[in-house]
Amino acid sequence: MKNLINFLIQYSVVFLFLFLEVISVTLIVKNQDYQKSVFLSSSNSVASTMFEWSNSVVEFFKLRTANDNLSEENTALKNQLVKLQNQLVSLKKETPDSIHFRIPPEMEYQFIAAKVIKCTTNKTLNYITLNKGALDGIKPDMGVVSDEGVVGIVKTVSTKFSVVIPIINPKIEISCKFKRSNYSGGLLWNGEDSRYANLNDIARHVELALGDTLITSGLTSTFPEGIPVGNIEDFKIKTSDAYYKIKVKLAVDFRTLSHVKVINYLNYQEQKDLEKKSEEQ
Amino acid sequence: MPTVLQNIIRFILLVLFQVLVLDNIQFLGYINPYLYILFILALPVQTPRWFSLLLAFGLGISIGICSNTPGQHAFATVLVAFARDGIIKLFTSIEEGNNPTPSFYTFGVSAYIKYVVILVFLHNVALFFLESFSFVSGWIILTKVVLSSLVTILMILGIQSFSKK
Repeated sequence: MKNLINFLIQYSVVFLFLFLEVISVTLIVKNQDYQKSVFLSSSNSVASTMFEWSNSVVEFFKLRTANDNLSEENTALKNQLVKLQNQLVSLKKETPDSIHFRIPPEMEYQFIAAKVIKCTTNKTLNYITLNKGALDGIKPDMGVVSDEGVVGIVKTVSTKFSVVIPIINPKIEISCKFKRSNYSGGLLWNGEDSRYANLNDIARHVELALGDTLITSGLTSTFPEGIPVGNIEDFKIKTSDAYYKIKVKLAVDFRTLSHVKVINYLNYQEQKDLEKKSEEQ
Repeated sequence: MPTVLQNIIRFILLVLFQVLVLDNIQFLGYINPYLYILFILALPVQTPRWFSLLLAFGLGISIGICSNTPGQHAFATVLVAFARDGIIKLFTSIEEGNNPTPSFYTFGVSAYIKYVVILVFLHNVALFFLESFSFVSGWIILTKVVLSSLVTILMILGIQSFSKK
Protein backbone atom coordinates (compact mmCIF):
# COMPACT_ATOMS: atom_id res chain seq x y z
CA MET A 1 0.00 0.00 0.00
CA LYS A 2 2.78 2.38 0.96
CA ASN A 3 4.57 1.55 -2.28
CA LEU A 4 1.45 2.22 -4.22
CA ILE A 5 1.02 5.64 -2.61
CA ASN A 6 4.68 6.46 -3.24
CA PHE A 7 4.26 5.42 -6.85
CA LEU A 8 1.20 7.61 -7.24
CA ILE A 9 2.96 10.61 -5.70
CA GLN A 10 6.07 10.13 -7.80
CA TYR A 11 4.16 10.05 -11.04
CA SER A 12 1.36 12.42 -10.03
CA VAL A 13 2.41 14.96 -12.68
CA VAL A 14 2.28 12.34 -15.39
CA PHE A 15 -1.18 11.30 -14.24
CA LEU A 16 -2.35 14.91 -14.22
CA PHE A 17 -0.92 15.32 -17.72
CA LEU A 18 -2.74 12.23 -18.98
CA PHE A 19 -5.92 13.27 -17.21
CA LEU A 20 -5.94 16.73 -18.83
CA GLU A 21 -5.19 15.28 -22.27
CA VAL A 22 -8.05 12.79 -21.89
CA ILE A 23 -10.40 15.68 -21.05
CA SER A 24 -9.17 17.53 -24.15
CA VAL A 25 -9.75 14.55 -26.40
CA THR A 26 -13.22 14.08 -24.91
CA LEU A 27 -13.95 17.71 -25.72
CA ILE A 28 -12.80 17.23 -29.30
CA VAL A 29 -14.96 14.16 -29.75
CA LYS A 30 -17.97 15.63 -27.91
CA ASN A 31 -17.75 18.82 -29.95
CA GLN A 32 -18.45 16.84 -33.10
CA ASP A 33 -22.00 16.36 -31.88
CA TYR A 34 -24.34 18.77 -33.52
CA GLN A 35 -26.29 21.34 -31.54
CA LYS A 36 -24.67 20.77 -28.17
CA SER A 37 -22.00 22.50 -26.14
CA VAL A 38 -23.27 26.06 -26.24
CA PHE A 39 -21.10 26.75 -23.21
CA LEU A 40 -17.89 25.68 -24.90
CA SER A 41 -18.42 27.57 -28.13
CA SER A 42 -18.20 31.21 -29.05
CA SER A 43 -21.97 31.56 -28.62
CA ASN A 44 -21.52 31.65 -24.84
CA SER A 45 -22.23 35.08 -23.46
CA VAL A 46 -18.73 36.17 -22.38
CA ALA A 47 -17.06 35.32 -25.68
CA SER A 48 -19.85 36.64 -27.84
CA THR A 49 -20.15 39.92 -25.94
CA MET A 50 -16.43 40.41 -26.48
CA PHE A 51 -16.74 39.70 -30.20
CA GLU A 52 -19.74 41.98 -30.52
CA TRP A 53 -17.69 44.76 -28.99
CA SER A 54 -14.69 44.14 -31.22
CA ASN A 55 -16.96 43.91 -34.25
CA SER A 56 -18.42 47.34 -33.57
CA VAL A 57 -14.94 48.72 -34.18
CA VAL A 58 -14.10 46.65 -37.25
CA GLU A 59 -17.52 47.01 -38.85
CA PHE A 60 -16.90 50.68 -39.48
CA PHE A 61 -14.30 49.82 -42.08
CA LYS A 62 -16.64 47.50 -43.93
CA LEU A 63 -19.48 50.03 -44.19
CA ARG A 64 -18.64 51.34 -47.61
CA THR A 65 -18.78 47.98 -49.39
CA ALA A 66 -21.83 46.96 -47.37
CA ASN A 67 -23.61 50.14 -48.50
CA ASP A 68 -22.74 49.54 -52.13
CA ASN A 69 -24.03 45.99 -51.95
CA LEU A 70 -27.23 47.08 -50.24
CA SER A 71 -28.05 49.72 -52.79
CA GLU A 72 -27.36 47.30 -55.62
CA GLU A 73 -29.61 44.71 -54.06
CA ASN A 74 -32.26 47.34 -53.46
CA THR A 75 -32.32 48.26 -57.12
CA ALA A 76 -32.50 44.63 -58.18
CA LEU A 77 -35.37 44.00 -55.79
CA LYS A 78 -37.28 47.05 -56.97
CA ASN A 79 -36.92 45.92 -60.57
CA GLN A 80 -38.19 42.51 -59.61
CA LEU A 81 -41.12 44.04 -57.75
CA VAL A 82 -42.19 46.02 -60.78
CA LYS A 83 -41.90 42.98 -62.98
CA LEU A 84 -43.95 40.84 -60.61
CA GLN A 85 -46.61 43.50 -60.22
CA ASN A 86 -46.97 43.71 -63.97
CA GLN A 87 -47.25 39.97 -64.21
CA LEU A 88 -49.87 39.90 -61.49
CA VAL A 89 -51.97 42.50 -63.26
CA SER A 90 -51.80 40.69 -66.58
CA LEU A 91 -52.67 37.36 -64.95
CA LYS A 92 -55.64 38.80 -63.10
CA LYS A 93 -57.16 39.93 -66.38
CA GLU A 94 -56.87 36.53 -67.98
CA THR A 95 -58.11 34.32 -65.16
CA PRO A 96 -61.54 34.37 -63.60
CA ASP A 97 -61.93 34.59 -59.81
CA SER A 98 -62.40 30.88 -59.24
CA ILE A 99 -58.71 30.08 -59.62
CA HIS A 100 -56.75 31.39 -56.66
CA PHE A 101 -53.05 31.85 -56.50
CA ARG A 102 -51.18 29.64 -54.12
CA ILE A 103 -47.53 29.79 -53.20
CA PRO A 104 -45.91 26.37 -53.65
CA PRO A 105 -45.28 24.95 -50.14
CA GLU A 106 -41.53 24.55 -50.69
CA MET A 107 -41.22 28.27 -51.40
CA GLU A 108 -42.74 29.45 -48.13
CA TYR A 109 -39.85 30.90 -46.21
CA GLN A 110 -38.88 34.01 -44.31
CA PHE A 111 -35.56 35.74 -43.83
CA ILE A 112 -34.15 36.72 -40.45
CA ALA A 113 -31.49 39.42 -40.85
CA ALA A 114 -28.39 38.99 -38.67
CA LYS A 115 -24.95 40.50 -38.32
CA VAL A 116 -21.70 38.57 -38.37
CA ILE A 117 -19.78 39.36 -35.20
CA LYS A 118 -16.99 36.84 -35.69
CA CYS A 119 -15.78 35.04 -38.77
CA THR A 120 -12.53 33.16 -39.29
CA THR A 121 -11.23 32.24 -42.72
CA ASN A 122 -7.69 31.12 -42.01
CA LYS A 123 -8.34 27.94 -40.02
CA THR A 124 -9.26 24.49 -41.17
CA LEU A 125 -12.41 24.42 -39.08
CA ASN A 126 -13.89 27.87 -39.62
CA TYR A 127 -16.97 29.12 -37.78
CA ILE A 128 -19.11 32.25 -37.89
CA THR A 129 -20.88 33.80 -34.90
CA LEU A 130 -24.09 35.78 -35.48
CA ASN A 131 -25.75 38.35 -33.20
CA LYS A 132 -29.18 36.69 -33.35
CA GLY A 133 -30.29 33.59 -31.47
CA ALA A 134 -33.25 31.56 -30.26
CA LEU A 135 -35.09 34.73 -29.18
CA ASP A 136 -35.18 35.86 -32.81
CA GLY A 137 -36.44 32.50 -34.00
CA ILE A 138 -33.19 30.93 -35.15
CA LYS A 139 -32.99 27.17 -34.82
CA PRO A 140 -30.19 24.70 -35.57
CA ASP A 141 -30.03 23.40 -39.18
CA MET A 142 -31.36 26.60 -40.73
CA GLY A 143 -29.59 27.83 -43.85
CA VAL A 144 -27.66 31.11 -43.90
CA VAL A 145 -27.22 33.27 -47.02
CA SER A 146 -25.83 36.71 -47.78
CA ASP A 147 -26.62 39.05 -50.66
CA GLU A 148 -23.97 37.32 -52.73
CA GLY A 149 -24.91 33.70 -52.08
CA VAL A 150 -24.80 30.72 -49.73
CA VAL A 151 -22.92 31.15 -46.44
CA GLY A 152 -23.55 28.04 -44.34
CA ILE A 153 -25.77 26.19 -41.88
CA VAL A 154 -26.60 27.09 -38.26
CA LYS A 155 -24.96 24.72 -35.77
CA THR A 156 -25.52 25.90 -32.21
CA VAL A 157 -27.96 28.46 -30.88
CA SER A 158 -27.99 30.25 -27.53
CA THR A 159 -30.67 32.75 -26.53
CA LYS A 160 -28.99 35.75 -28.15
CA PHE A 161 -26.32 34.33 -30.42
CA SER A 162 -25.79 31.52 -32.88
CA VAL A 163 -22.82 29.77 -34.46
CA VAL A 164 -22.81 28.92 -38.17
CA ILE A 165 -20.72 26.31 -39.98
CA PRO A 166 -19.79 28.06 -43.22
CA ILE A 167 -19.13 26.27 -46.51
CA ILE A 168 -15.45 26.91 -45.83
CA ASN A 169 -15.47 24.18 -43.17
CA PRO A 170 -14.92 20.60 -44.36
CA LYS A 171 -17.54 19.35 -41.91
CA ILE A 172 -20.41 20.24 -44.22
CA GLU A 173 -21.20 19.50 -47.84
CA ILE A 174 -23.74 21.58 -49.75
CA SER A 175 -25.84 20.06 -52.49
CA CYS A 176 -25.78 22.27 -55.56
CA LYS A 177 -26.42 22.10 -59.30
CA PHE A 178 -25.53 23.86 -62.52
CA LYS A 179 -27.91 26.59 -63.54
CA ARG A 180 -27.46 25.63 -67.20
CA SER A 181 -27.76 21.85 -67.14
CA ASN A 182 -29.37 20.98 -63.77
CA TYR A 183 -26.73 18.35 -62.94
CA SER A 184 -26.18 18.27 -59.17
CA GLY A 185 -23.26 17.38 -56.90
CA GLY A 186 -21.81 18.03 -53.46
CA LEU A 187 -19.66 21.07 -52.79
CA LEU A 188 -16.85 20.45 -50.29
CA TRP A 189 -14.11 22.74 -49.06
CA ASN A 190 -10.55 21.38 -49.14
CA GLY A 191 -9.19 23.43 -46.23
CA GLU A 192 -6.85 25.51 -48.32
CA ASP A 193 -8.12 28.82 -49.68
CA SER A 194 -11.27 30.55 -48.43
CA ARG A 195 -12.14 31.74 -51.94
CA TYR A 196 -12.38 28.31 -53.58
CA ALA A 197 -14.05 24.94 -52.97
CA ASN A 198 -14.29 21.65 -54.85
CA LEU A 199 -17.28 20.10 -56.54
CA ASN A 200 -17.51 16.32 -56.66
CA ASP A 201 -19.80 13.78 -58.29
CA ILE A 202 -20.10 15.40 -61.72
CA ALA A 203 -19.80 12.57 -64.24
CA ARG A 204 -17.64 12.93 -67.33
CA HIS A 205 -20.44 13.06 -69.88
CA VAL A 206 -21.67 16.40 -68.52
CA GLU A 207 -20.64 19.37 -70.62
CA LEU A 208 -18.93 22.10 -68.64
CA ALA A 209 -17.61 25.54 -69.43
CA LEU A 210 -15.44 27.88 -67.40
CA GLY A 211 -17.60 30.40 -65.56
CA ASP A 212 -20.71 28.21 -65.37
CA THR A 213 -22.90 29.28 -62.46
CA LEU A 214 -23.67 26.93 -59.59
CA ILE A 215 -26.87 27.36 -57.57
CA THR A 216 -28.38 25.47 -54.63
CA SER A 217 -30.29 22.42 -55.75
CA GLY A 218 -33.26 22.69 -53.40
CA LEU A 219 -33.01 18.96 -52.72
CA THR A 220 -32.36 19.54 -49.01
CA SER A 221 -34.78 21.39 -46.79
CA THR A 222 -32.09 23.83 -45.64
CA PHE A 223 -31.83 26.00 -48.74
CA PRO A 224 -34.50 26.87 -51.31
CA GLU A 225 -33.59 26.29 -54.94
CA GLY A 226 -31.63 28.86 -56.92
CA ILE A 227 -29.37 30.65 -54.45
CA PRO A 228 -25.97 31.34 -56.06
CA VAL A 229 -23.06 29.25 -54.76
CA GLY A 230 -20.22 30.12 -57.13
CA ASN A 231 -18.70 29.83 -60.60
CA ILE A 232 -16.43 27.25 -62.18
CA GLU A 233 -12.89 28.54 -61.98
CA ASP A 234 -11.14 25.51 -63.38
CA PHE A 235 -11.89 21.86 -64.15
CA LYS A 236 -9.78 18.84 -64.91
CA ILE A 237 -10.43 15.29 -65.99
CA LYS A 238 -7.94 12.53 -66.70
CA THR A 239 -8.71 9.93 -69.33
CA SER A 240 -9.09 7.29 -66.61
CA ASP A 241 -11.39 9.33 -64.34
CA ALA A 242 -15.14 8.93 -64.22
CA TYR A 243 -15.70 12.23 -62.45
CA TYR A 244 -14.50 15.78 -63.00
CA LYS A 245 -12.27 17.63 -60.56
CA ILE A 246 -13.93 21.02 -60.47
CA LYS A 247 -12.58 24.09 -58.70
CA VAL A 248 -15.33 26.51 -57.78
CA LYS A 249 -14.90 30.20 -57.00
CA LEU A 250 -17.33 30.85 -54.17
CA ALA A 251 -19.89 33.62 -54.61
CA VAL A 252 -19.43 34.84 -51.05
CA ASP A 253 -16.24 36.58 -49.97
CA PHE A 254 -15.93 35.41 -46.37
CA ARG A 255 -13.26 37.96 -45.56
CA THR A 256 -15.65 40.88 -45.98
CA LEU A 257 -18.81 39.17 -44.80
CA SER A 258 -20.83 41.38 -42.45
CA HIS A 259 -24.60 41.06 -42.96
CA VAL A 260 -26.39 37.77 -43.54
CA LYS A 261 -29.92 36.39 -43.65
CA VAL A 262 -31.01 33.22 -41.89
CA ILE A 263 -33.61 31.24 -43.83
CA ASN A 264 -36.63 30.17 -41.84
CA TYR A 265 -38.34 27.50 -43.93
CA LEU A 266 -41.89 27.50 -42.58
CA ASN A 267 -42.84 23.97 -43.60
CA TYR A 268 -39.59 22.41 -42.33
CA GLN A 269 -41.19 20.42 -39.52
CA GLU A 270 -44.06 19.17 -41.66
CA GLN A 271 -41.74 17.99 -44.42
CA LYS A 272 -39.33 16.34 -41.95
CA ASP A 273 -42.18 14.55 -40.15
CA LEU A 274 -43.63 13.26 -43.40
CA GLU A 275 -40.25 12.02 -44.64
CA LYS A 276 -39.57 10.32 -41.33
CA LYS A 277 -42.97 8.67 -41.34
CA SER A 278 -42.52 7.24 -44.81
CA GLU A 279 -39.08 5.92 -43.89
CA GLU A 280 -40.52 4.06 -40.89
CA GLN A 281 -43.21 2.33 -42.87
CA MET B 1 6.63 44.13 -10.77
CA PRO B 2 6.01 40.85 -8.93
CA THR B 3 6.20 37.82 -11.20
CA VAL B 4 2.68 36.61 -10.38
CA LEU B 5 1.04 39.88 -11.39
CA GLN B 6 3.22 40.04 -14.48
CA ASN B 7 2.05 36.59 -15.54
CA ILE B 8 -1.62 37.34 -14.92
CA ILE B 9 -1.40 40.44 -17.12
CA ARG B 10 0.51 38.50 -19.75
CA PHE B 11 -2.18 35.80 -19.79
CA ILE B 12 -4.98 38.31 -20.36
CA LEU B 13 -3.10 40.34 -22.96
CA LEU B 14 -2.04 37.27 -24.95
CA VAL B 15 -5.56 35.79 -25.01
CA LEU B 16 -7.08 39.09 -26.14
CA PHE B 17 -4.37 39.68 -28.74
CA GLN B 18 -4.73 36.14 -30.07
CA VAL B 19 -8.51 36.19 -30.32
CA LEU B 20 -9.09 39.76 -31.45
CA VAL B 21 -6.09 40.35 -33.70
CA LEU B 22 -4.14 37.27 -34.73
CA ASP B 23 -7.18 35.08 -35.47
CA ASN B 24 -8.22 37.67 -38.05
CA ILE B 25 -4.92 37.65 -39.89
CA GLN B 26 -5.28 36.33 -43.40
CA PHE B 27 -2.04 35.93 -45.26
CA LEU B 28 -1.74 33.48 -48.15
CA GLY B 29 -4.55 31.51 -46.52
CA TYR B 30 -2.08 29.42 -44.56
CA ILE B 31 -0.66 31.51 -41.79
CA ASN B 32 -2.37 31.76 -38.46
CA PRO B 33 0.26 32.46 -35.80
CA TYR B 34 -0.54 31.12 -32.34
CA LEU B 35 1.39 33.57 -30.21
CA TYR B 36 -0.52 32.75 -27.01
CA ILE B 37 1.85 29.82 -26.38
CA LEU B 38 4.40 32.46 -25.31
CA PHE B 39 2.62 32.48 -21.94
CA ILE B 40 3.68 28.88 -21.27
CA LEU B 41 7.18 29.46 -22.68
CA ALA B 42 7.68 32.47 -20.40
CA LEU B 43 6.59 30.86 -17.12
CA PRO B 44 9.40 30.93 -14.53
CA VAL B 45 11.60 27.83 -14.74
CA GLN B 46 10.75 26.44 -11.31
CA THR B 47 6.98 26.73 -11.63
CA PRO B 48 5.55 23.49 -10.18
CA ARG B 49 4.78 21.16 -13.06
CA TRP B 50 1.24 20.35 -11.95
CA PHE B 51 0.53 24.07 -11.79
CA SER B 52 1.89 24.82 -15.26
CA LEU B 53 -0.18 21.92 -16.64
CA LEU B 54 -3.35 23.37 -15.12
CA LEU B 55 -2.48 26.85 -16.41
CA ALA B 56 -1.90 25.39 -19.88
CA PHE B 57 -5.26 23.65 -19.78
CA GLY B 58 -7.01 26.87 -18.78
CA LEU B 59 -5.21 28.82 -21.48
CA GLY B 60 -6.05 26.26 -24.16
CA ILE B 61 -9.71 26.15 -23.16
CA SER B 62 -10.01 29.96 -23.20
CA ILE B 63 -8.50 30.22 -26.67
CA GLY B 64 -10.48 27.22 -27.85
CA ILE B 65 -13.86 28.53 -26.72
CA CYS B 66 -13.32 31.63 -28.81
CA SER B 67 -12.55 29.63 -31.95
CA ASN B 68 -15.12 26.87 -31.36
CA THR B 69 -12.47 24.16 -31.07
CA PRO B 70 -11.98 23.82 -27.28
CA GLY B 71 -10.29 20.42 -27.12
CA GLN B 72 -7.62 20.92 -29.78
CA HIS B 73 -6.02 23.98 -28.22
CA ALA B 74 -6.17 22.50 -24.70
CA PHE B 75 -4.52 19.29 -25.87
CA ALA B 76 -1.67 21.03 -27.70
CA THR B 77 -1.02 23.54 -24.93
CA VAL B 78 -0.96 20.92 -22.16
CA LEU B 79 1.43 18.87 -24.29
CA VAL B 80 3.80 21.84 -24.57
CA ALA B 81 3.62 22.51 -20.82
CA PHE B 82 4.47 18.88 -20.15
CA ALA B 83 7.41 18.81 -22.56
CA ARG B 84 8.79 22.15 -21.37
CA ASP B 85 10.66 20.92 -18.29
CA GLY B 86 12.48 18.21 -20.20
CA ILE B 87 13.55 20.65 -22.92
CA ILE B 88 14.82 23.15 -20.34
CA LYS B 89 16.89 20.43 -18.60
CA LEU B 90 18.25 19.28 -21.94
CA PHE B 91 19.57 22.62 -23.16
CA THR B 92 20.40 24.61 -20.04
CA SER B 93 22.05 24.16 -16.69
CA ILE B 94 20.01 26.25 -14.28
CA GLU B 95 21.35 25.97 -10.73
CA GLU B 96 19.13 24.77 -7.90
CA GLY B 97 17.42 27.63 -6.10
CA ASN B 98 17.50 29.91 -9.12
CA ASN B 99 14.14 30.68 -10.66
CA PRO B 100 14.72 32.73 -13.81
CA THR B 101 12.14 33.54 -16.46
CA PRO B 102 13.23 31.96 -19.78
CA SER B 103 14.77 34.55 -22.11
CA PHE B 104 17.88 35.23 -24.22
CA TYR B 105 19.74 36.47 -21.11
CA THR B 106 18.99 33.61 -18.76
CA PHE B 107 19.26 30.71 -21.24
CA GLY B 108 21.82 32.04 -23.69
CA VAL B 109 20.91 32.89 -27.27
CA SER B 110 21.31 29.48 -28.92
CA ALA B 111 19.65 27.53 -26.10
CA TYR B 112 16.69 29.90 -26.02
CA ILE B 113 16.21 29.70 -29.79
CA LYS B 114 16.27 25.90 -29.66
CA TYR B 115 13.82 25.95 -26.74
CA VAL B 116 11.35 28.18 -28.62
CA VAL B 117 11.67 26.41 -31.96
CA ILE B 118 11.08 22.92 -30.57
CA LEU B 119 8.12 23.82 -28.37
CA VAL B 120 6.36 26.03 -30.92
CA PHE B 121 6.77 23.36 -33.57
CA LEU B 122 5.41 20.71 -31.19
CA HIS B 123 2.42 22.93 -30.42
CA ASN B 124 1.63 23.57 -34.09
CA VAL B 125 1.99 19.94 -35.12
CA ALA B 126 -0.39 18.76 -32.39
CA LEU B 127 -2.85 21.56 -33.09
CA PHE B 128 -3.06 21.29 -36.86
CA PHE B 129 -3.18 17.53 -36.97
CA LEU B 130 -5.96 17.41 -34.37
CA GLU B 131 -7.86 20.20 -36.07
CA SER B 132 -7.87 18.82 -39.55
CA PHE B 133 -7.21 15.13 -39.04
CA SER B 134 -9.02 13.17 -41.76
CA PHE B 135 -10.53 16.30 -43.33
CA VAL B 136 -7.61 17.64 -45.31
CA SER B 137 -4.69 16.13 -47.16
CA GLY B 138 -1.35 15.80 -45.39
CA TRP B 139 0.62 18.22 -47.54
CA ILE B 140 -1.69 21.13 -46.81
CA ILE B 141 -1.44 20.46 -43.07
CA LEU B 142 2.34 20.23 -43.29
CA THR B 143 2.59 23.55 -45.15
CA LYS B 144 0.34 25.16 -42.58
CA VAL B 145 2.37 23.73 -39.68
CA VAL B 146 5.69 24.91 -41.11
CA LEU B 147 4.55 28.40 -42.11
CA SER B 148 2.57 29.09 -38.95
CA SER B 149 5.38 27.80 -36.70
CA LEU B 150 7.87 29.96 -38.53
CA VAL B 151 5.84 33.13 -38.09
CA THR B 152 5.07 32.32 -34.43
CA ILE B 153 8.76 31.63 -33.71
CA LEU B 154 9.85 34.89 -35.36
CA MET B 155 7.24 36.83 -33.40
CA ILE B 156 8.29 35.30 -30.07
CA LEU B 157 12.00 35.85 -30.72
CA GLY B 158 11.24 39.40 -31.85
CA ILE B 159 9.26 40.19 -28.71
CA GLN B 160 11.91 38.63 -26.49
CA SER B 161 14.78 40.52 -28.09
CA PHE B 162 13.04 43.80 -27.22
CA SER B 163 12.24 42.86 -23.62
CA LYS B 164 14.52 44.00 -20.80
CA LYS B 165 16.67 41.78 -18.68
